[in-house]
Amino acid sequence: MAEGPEWARLTDQEVVLLARGGREAAYRELVRRYERPVFALLYRMVRDRELAEDLSQETFVKALNAIDSYRPEFKFSSWIFKIANNAAIDHLRRRELDTLSLDGSPHAETPEAMQATALQIGARQESPLDAVQARELGGAIEAAIGRLRPEYRSCILLRHVEGRAYEEIAEILDLPLGTVKTYIHRARNELRLALAHLRE
Amino acid sequence: MTPPPGPHLSPDDVENWLTGILDAERTRHLDLCPECFDRAQAEREIVEQLAALPLMGPSEGFADRVMASVTMADPFALRSLRQRIFASRRSLAVAASLALAVVGSMAASIAWSLANQDVLVAAGQWVLAQGTQAGWLALRALASNFIEQPWYESVRSFAGHPGRLGAALGAASLAYLSGMFALRRLLALPSQQVAHVA
Repeated sequence: MAEGPEWARLTDQEVVLLARGGREAAYRELVRRYERPVFALLYRMVRDRELAEDLSQETFVKALNAIDSYRPEFKFSSWIFKIANNAAIDHLRRRELDTLSLDGSPHAETPEAMQATALQIGARQESPLDAVQARELGGAIEAAIGRLRPEYRSCILLRHVEGRAYEEIAEILDLPLGTVKTYIHRARNELRLALAHLRE
Repeated sequence: MTPPPGPHLSPDDVENWLTGILDAERTRHLDLCPECFDRAQAEREIVEQLAALPLMGPSEGFADRVMASVTMADPFALRSLRQRIFASRRSLAVAASLALAVVGSMAASIAWSLANQDVLVAAGQWVLAQGTQAGWLALRALASNFIEQPWYESVRSFAGHPGRLGAALGAASLAYLSGMFALRRLLALPSQQVAHVA
C-alpha cells in the first residue's frame, strides 16, 4: 500500500467511505485492523482454530459485502463484533442441537433406529492443529473461559480482552446495559471460583 | 478493631474499584473488610489475567481469502448513491441543499423568462442575426480560399469530364468497400478452436 492515504491516520469511518468508493486497499485496511480481534474473539468462543477462521472469514465477507448498509454514526468495531458474535452464537446453538442428537434421532421409535441414527465417536488421533490449539487454549484461565455460558463468554471477552466499554458491549450484543453488567459480574465470579484453587 | 463502615461492596463498587473510581467511604470499607478486600483482589487478578491473554491471529493469506469472496462497492450504482445520500443527516442535508439549489435556479429562470418575454425574443433575434452573419462570412471566406488554391483549375477541368469523374468515384468506392471487408475479417472471432502451446 505505497500509494494512497496514510491509513494509520484515518478513522474507521473514513476508511469505510473510501471502501464505498470502490477502493480495494480500503477493504484490505479494514481486514488488517480487525482480523486479529475478530479471530481472537471467535477462537475463544468456539475453541476450534479452523472453525474460528471460517467464521472470521464469513464475518468479514458479510460485513464488507454489506458495507453500503453500515451506518457511520455507529462504531465500525461494534458492527463487525456484532456480526462475529452472531456467527459464533449461531454456530454454538447449532452445535448444541447436534450434541443433543448424539444418542440418536429424537424421532427414532425403536432401539435399532436410535442406534442407527446415533453419532459414532471413534478414537481420534491428535492432529498438529489440535496440538497448537491445546497449547494456545491450554491455560487455566482459557479453560475456565471455555466453561462459561456463551453469553457470559462474549461479555467477558469483549470487556476484559478487547477492552470495550459497557455501552459498546450492550450495543454489540443487543442487550440492556444492566444485563451486560450483571453478565460480566457473574462471569468474573465464575472465573474467580474456577481459579480459586490456584490462589491457595 | 474498628468495624468496616456501611454494607459490603456491591458488584458495581468492585467495578468502580477496578477502574479506580471507588469513592472514599467505600474505599475505607474495603480497607477495613478482609472479606471484601479478598474478593476484590481476586477479581483484579482475573481481570489482569484476561488482559494479558495473547491476541491470536488467523493464518497467513486471510485477507486474500476474504477479498476473493467480496464484491466491491460500485460508487456509481444507483442503490449505492441512494444509500450514501441517506447515510447520515449531514449527507442528506447536503443532497437536499443541492437539489433545492438546482430546482430553485430552474424555477427562477422560468419565472424570469415568462416575465421578460420581450427581452428574451429581442435577445434571441440578435443572437440569430449575429450567428447568420458570422456563418455567411465564414462560408464566403472558405469559398474564396478554395478558388485561390493552385490545384483548383486542374480539379475543375477533371470534374468537367463526367466519365473520368465517374471512374474516380467508382475506384474510391471500391477501395472503401475492400477496406471495410478486410477490417471485418480482422475483427471477426475465430470460428475454430486454436490450439494453445504450453
